[in-house]
Amino acid sequence: MQLPVLNNTPSQAEHGAKGGCSASSCGTTDNQMDSLPDSIREKVQNHPCYSEDAHHYFARMHVAVAPACNIQCHYCNRKYDCANESRPGVVSELLTPDQAVKKTMAVAATIPQMTVLGIAGPGDPLANPERTFETFRRLSQEAPDIKLCVSTNGLALPDAVEELSKHNIDHVTITINTVDPEIGAKIYPWIFWNNKRIKGVKGAKILIEQQQKGLEMLIAKGILVKVNSVMIPGVNDQHLAEVSKVVKSKGAFLHNVMPLIAEAEHGTFYGVMGQRGPTPEELQDLQDSCSGDMNMMRHCRQCRADAVGLLGEDRGDEFTLDKIEEMDIDYQAAMEKRKVIHQAIQEEMDSKRLEKAVKAQQHQQEPKLTTRPVLMAVATSGQGVINVHFGHAKEFLIYEASPEGVRFISHRKADQYCGGDTSCGDGESVLQLTIRALAGCEAVLCSKVGYEPWEMLEAAGIAPNGEHAMEPIEDAVLAVYKEMAAAGKLDEKNEAVRANA
Amino acid sequence: MAVSIIDLCVNCFACEPVCPSHAISEAKPHFLVDPKKCTECEGDFPVFQCASICPIEGAILDSFGVAINPPGSLTGIPPEKMAEAMAELQSH
Repeated sequence: MQLPVLNNTPSQAEHGAKGGCSASSCGTTDNQMDSLPDSIREKVQNHPCYSEDAHHYFARMHVAVAPACNIQCHYCNRKYDCANESRPGVVSELLTPDQAVKKTMAVAATIPQMTVLGIAGPGDPLANPERTFETFRRLSQEAPDIKLCVSTNGLALPDAVEELSKHNIDHVTITINTVDPEIGAKIYPWIFWNNKRIKGVKGAKILIEQQQKGLEMLIAKGILVKVNSVMIPGVNDQHLAEVSKVVKSKGAFLHNVMPLIAEAEHGTFYGVMGQRGPTPEELQDLQDSCSGDMNMMRHCRQCRADAVGLLGEDRGDEFTLDKIEEMDIDYQAAMEKRKVIHQAIQEEMDSKRLEKAVKAQQHQQEPKLTTRPVLMAVATSGQGVINVHFGHAKEFLIYEASPEGVRFISHRKADQYCGGDTSCGDGESVLQLTIRALAGCEAVLCSKVGYEPWEMLEAAGIAPNGEHAMEPIEDAVLAVYKEMAAAGKLDEKNEAVRANA
Repeated sequence: MAVSIIDLCVNCFACEPVCPSHAISEAKPHFLVDPKKCTECEGDFPVFQCASICPIEGAILDSFGVAINPPGSLTGIPPEKMAEAMAELQSH
């Protein structure tokens, strides 16, 4: 394994590096894409959902035009809608195609960084073909500078491929949780197929066949395909490496493994039956083994089907139906403005990427440490710097520092999927929950840490660090790592350290 | 002879396009079946189309007022387990 450098090293994969470690780098995302063909790399490197640095600059939105669904998943409940909810499949306001087009253009004119429009539900977009395709058709014509994406469970996909290929579709996401009907029966209680509700293994088998057929047809048409899987411990966790192999061999460019979200209050089968989600460590292990040399989706926030804005933020409230009704949008003028802003963003991103690559190169030339890897948590609101107070952090970004450099691993929520009650659930305080969410980390870098959390963090074996406020994340993580190494803290193998980290 | 949609309906639109008699329409606060048009799929399909795609247990009743999809039949969650979970949540 070696430290990759922007544009002048061959792909890590070609060097036979093992598993997820091959993605390690200071220059994060660019290098992970080196192994992709140019045509795909061009499409994904500025896409907020794929590129970890692009998501700080570009925004995406979803329009909820597709209410109907043709299957039932055990992690979904069609009844639920709460303002504090941010799960996928949840929306507050259903739109007609006409309203969706208006909303998209209003958002694009107001937030020029918005470059990607997705239809993801709240049901299955392809189970609502008329509403979904009318929205795509009109946006392809009226707002050609917006990339279009669609997510589907795959059941109706083979019939939709022809129509999808006619629009400005950037890529299709298929949720594939299994390729084994026996496992499928534990995830999908029923499907609606050929005018019948089909339950159990029989239904799961049809769904799996349709998903695989749809995947093959999209690839044959030259449409990019991403596969999402929900990791359900004890159900499909052991099986997802196989899914990964199958979908990649058929041409999916990315396999994104997401954690199951299951709480009794969601009223889902898994929530009510007490099925647990994976721990951050279990998720990371599986993501490492499935991502190969690409971990582009580690920053995925599993957003709602009507989310608006940068990943992890939601500005949907600014664009409710009555508000967009009052807006008068001159899209031609907006498009001109958008173009200028996109160019400026592109230049800034390029220069930051170059800067990172230069630093990575410098790091490579320094004498190499032989110390073990360390996970660190970082509190940031974006722009690539440490700029959030520990107590204000809604989430932490997790980085791994090792002699190879620094790599982004994942994000962890400080207040797991709940913006309401500060002591909900089993009576743990938010602070205790936050510290539990940081399990496995040995340091937390933030702009400031209060006295009480400081003591609790130390007691939990996580070193609080407020000395790198406003510094670039990778630089600060590397500096702390070097301090730890110099202090002799990394000499012994720590039991708590993850085997493959 | 007609089925009916009651207030458990979540307005997901799934049933509307599958009705062979165009008897279902969007309405407030929830979708409705026109009893004059509903044929209970007689002559078209051996099973109720609306109730075969509806994801909500108890939302569609047959002509005797009985839920076509009773509690637990679609989600697989045993009704007593659901009641237990809801009671637990309300006690908080």
